Amino acid sequence: MKITEKIDVRFPRTLAEALRLQAGEQTRGKLLAGGTDLMVQWAAGVPAPERATSVWNLPELSAIEMAPDAIEIGAGVTHAFLRDCVQIRRHLPALVAAAATVGAAQIQSRGTLGGNAANASPAGDTAPALLVTGGSVVLASLSGRREVPLDRFWIDYRKIDARPDEIIVAFRLPPKGRAKERFRKIGTRRAQAISKVMAASRILVEKGRIVSAAIALGSVAPTPVRLAQVEAFLVGKKLSPKLIDEAEQLAQATVAPIADIRSSAEYRRWASGRLVRDALEHL
Amino acid sequence: MSTIRRTWKINGKTVAVRFPAGRRLLDVLREDLGLIGSKESCGEGECGACTVIVNDEPVVSCILPAGQLADGTEILTVEGIEKKRVGRLIQQAFIEVGAVQCGFCIPGMVVSSYALLCKNPKPSTKAIREGLAGNLCRCTGYTKIIAAVKLAASRIPAAKRT
Repeated sequence: MKITEKIDVRFPRTLAEALRLQAGEQTRGKLLAGGTDLMVQWAAGVPAPERATSVWNLPELSAIEMAPDAIEIGAGVTHAFLRDCVQIRRHLPALVAAAATVGAAQIQSRGTLGGNAANASPAGDTAPALLVTGGSVVLASLSGRREVPLDRFWIDYRKIDARPDEIIVAFRLPPKGRAKERFRKIGTRRAQAISKVMAASRILVEKGRIVSAAIALGSVAPTPVRLAQVEAFLVGKKLSPKLIDEAEQLAQATVAPIADIRSSAEYRRWASGRLVRDALEHL
Repeated sequence: MSTIRRTWKINGKTVAVRFPAGRRLLDVLREDLGLIGSKESCGEGECGACTVIVNDEPVVSCILPAGQLADGTEILTVEGIEKKRVGRLIQQAFIEVGAVQCGFCIPGMVVSSYALLCKNPKPSTKAIREGLAGNLCRCTGYTKIIAAVKLAASRIPAAKRT
């Protein structure tokens, strides 16, 4: 018998039913979306739970709503859908670019935005692109809904600000407006690779001066991170080669990555600076 | 442990299945239904040897909880693709080009090629590489596999006329 067959997976058809099933749960890791992380972890020997609740294909998690102040994307929306959606690309190009780099076509068909966020890996491909929007996560439980700003959602390595009885239902993401977004992922190969370092940015320049800057990195800390010091340094300054040099150095000084199986700390530090340079050179 | 019942359309035929709640789609296909064309290689969604098409999207069946596929889901495996016009073009092209060495990855390669050509019948080399990026081959170096997909694509308009 395969390990996953020891898990009693429940398949609710509505969010209300799923929330009732979760209401009694005391521990984490029992919500199953596309399974592209959890099924692999369980097969690899991470202790499997007795029960799991599938949130795949719940109609309440599949919607996308475009409002002027924020695009609301259901947590069950797949990377494949984001990759192919022209309307979202116009307003959230970094997120769409990130979705297109997750695994390969087969993983994009099944992996969801909510699942990627809940897995809370520092190397989660969509996290930096979500962070630079300044948006929030919408959580639901039987006691109601609450919104958590994305920059406070990932609280530690693989830890999120969500209770065991809560389900991520959507993301509320302000569109980029006149700002420019960019996403770059550095891995061993283009597909099926977990990143060594990646960056997303949303920067607005008017008349040569940086009006606002949001820059986020993945795989350089226990959680995906915004580079607040670099952002504060950039805002109000005129874009110039000297400013880009200084921002690159500041980014390198700010991050404190670790060495692991995928990369060395030195490389990650160097590449973090180069990715900030890359974002500023493409404005 | 609960038992799940589903009725799917597999390779065009309506099939009723029963399985334990945590069973993987690959095991339902291979062990319960005898569709052994889909291969298990890595078992962790990396290599693509178990690729099948679910509601027009390629997926890796080795990490897919079968219960998540609702009644009425359409599943196409390599056995079903062999009976499709474009599927036969891909099969013939792989044979003519000699795109096969040990062959274990080839069912997945054929399924991913089919998914690609259904969406994009005239793919560029870059699009072919991206379409097959989730399928690993340890023998061929991919050159002939990409050539085979190009050859199959070049024959699609001719096939449409028939």
